[in-house]
Amino acid sequence: DSHIQYERVGADVTMKCGSMDWDAAVTWMANGTDIDDSHLNGSYLILKNVDLTQSGQYFCYEGSSWHLKYQTILRVGVPPKEPVLMCRSNNYPKGFYCSWHLPSPTYIPNTFNISVIHGTREMVCEKDVFPKNRCHIRYLQLFSTVKYKVTLTVTNALGKNSTSLTFDEFAIVKPDPPESVVAKPVPNNPRRLEVSWQNPSSWPDPESFPLKFFLRYRPLILDQWQHVELSDGTSHTITDAYAGKEYIIQVAAKDNDIGTWSDWSVAVHATPWTEEPKHLTTEVQITETTSTSTSSFMPPPTTKICDKGAG
Amino acid sequence: LGAGQSIQKTYDLTRYLEHQLRTLAGTYLNYLGPPFNEPDFNPPRLARAERVPSATVDLDLWRGLTDNARLAANYRAYSRLLCYLRGLDGQVGAVELRHRLGHFCSSLQGLVLSIAGVMSSLGYPLPAGPAGPPLPPGSSAAPNDFLKKMDDFWLLKELQTWLWRSAKDFNRLKKKVPPAVVTLRLETRGF
Repeated sequence: DSHIQYERVGADVTMKCGSMDWDAAVTWMANGTDIDDSHLNGSYLILKNVDLTQSGQYFCYEGSSWHLKYQTILRVGVPPKEPVLMCRSNNYPKGFYCSWHLPSPTYIPNTFNISVIHGTREMVCEKDVFPKNRCHIRYLQLFSTVKYKVTLTVTNALGKNSTSLTFDEFAIVKPDPPESVVAKPVPNNPRRLEVSWQNPSSWPDPESFPLKFFLRYRPLILDQWQHVELSDGTSHTITDAYAGKEYIIQVAAKDNDIGTWSDWSVAVHATPWTEEPKHLTTEVQITETTSTSTSSFMPPPTTKICDKGAG
Repeated sequence: LGAGQSIQKTYDLTRYLEHQLRTLAGTYLNYLGPPFNEPDFNPPRLARAERVPSATVDLDLWRGLTDNARLAANYRAYSRLLCYLRGLDGQVGAVELRHRLGHFCSSLQGLVLSIAGVMSSLGYPLPAGPAGPPLPPGSSAAPNDFLKKMDDFWLLKELQTWLWRSAKDFNRLKKKVPPAVVTLRLETRGF
């Protein structure tokens, strides 16, 4: 009979060769290789202070006939530590999701069970197909003064652990970052940059639940960010950019009244408009142009002469 | 003042009150002391606390509210919350805290009047008298100090939640009621 045997790292493990007597002649194999007699006590296999490398398939054969008398899969692991649980509403007011992970691996399968209590009512946390360790809860009511309590229990063959979170509806509201951030120079304005973005697509009802935004920008040559908070609209014109310097720009979002700021958006780069070089033609270039005009070679573009007056 | 401006003013006042209450509630809960000022304090809501108008509402119901019903719900809630808050205000020992509570009550009174202004500018009647059954005699005084503090805790929490809900309510109204159009409509009906 083959089954899975779970043992803790560091445990001493004894395996019997099925129904064989203690003094029967047997051969033990692990993952296809013989186990030497030093690990045997009669027909029993003794594994001291097991470690992860000793996980595998173990077979016991009767000495002379090589009949398979016993096989097992040994899985060496550890009980679960207290899981890390996080709940967040990035699609308010639709609902919120909770995601979790273990602070360290257990090397054996774990099962997770989550319960969500709102006042006296238990709510269903619908498991997401992906990512795996995540489920979401649909709000039935809004503007509740009663806190939500989420309890996550993790169990494996070697033990069990749990953690819980208690929070108010508004405390976990955190939108996703703004999307489609675009920054463009403004023609004829060497100190301006036009930035636009969109509400995160996961935010379902910006009309009823408007977002406000935080814009930060700095020239690449400096470390210090400049910030501006915007409570309306999804665009802004930077008017104090250093002429000719490349800028890095990011945007964050937050519900107008509750919750916390999103992470920063993807960074975009832009450089303010700079004046095109003026074309000054001198006598030398004119004579050169006429004498070579009959040849197929085209003269190189006239050397740019900076117009001191610009910007 | 057109309805649009009136709604905008009410919205701004709501945001101001929301901001004010955040610090005031923190100070007051510290005044009440543990466990009321602990972040994870999550007491059951006793029957007494049910008298305070609850902001909790079914999402679809809230979305489907008519402008009149939305405004009336706000008006009724703050009218009652103001009464309770005034009751709170009278017993606080700390002078500075009592002063801040008094100031907040005045601002909240301003919100009630502002909502009334919006309703009348939109041609809606004000809800009659305090909504809900009148309090049975003697029931308002809490039997002991702890329950009194529990009442205060839930009152502040409900008020905070109402202000947050109202900001969404008035934001919604702002977008539905452009300033100019409404004023025009009122004039053609001989107001």
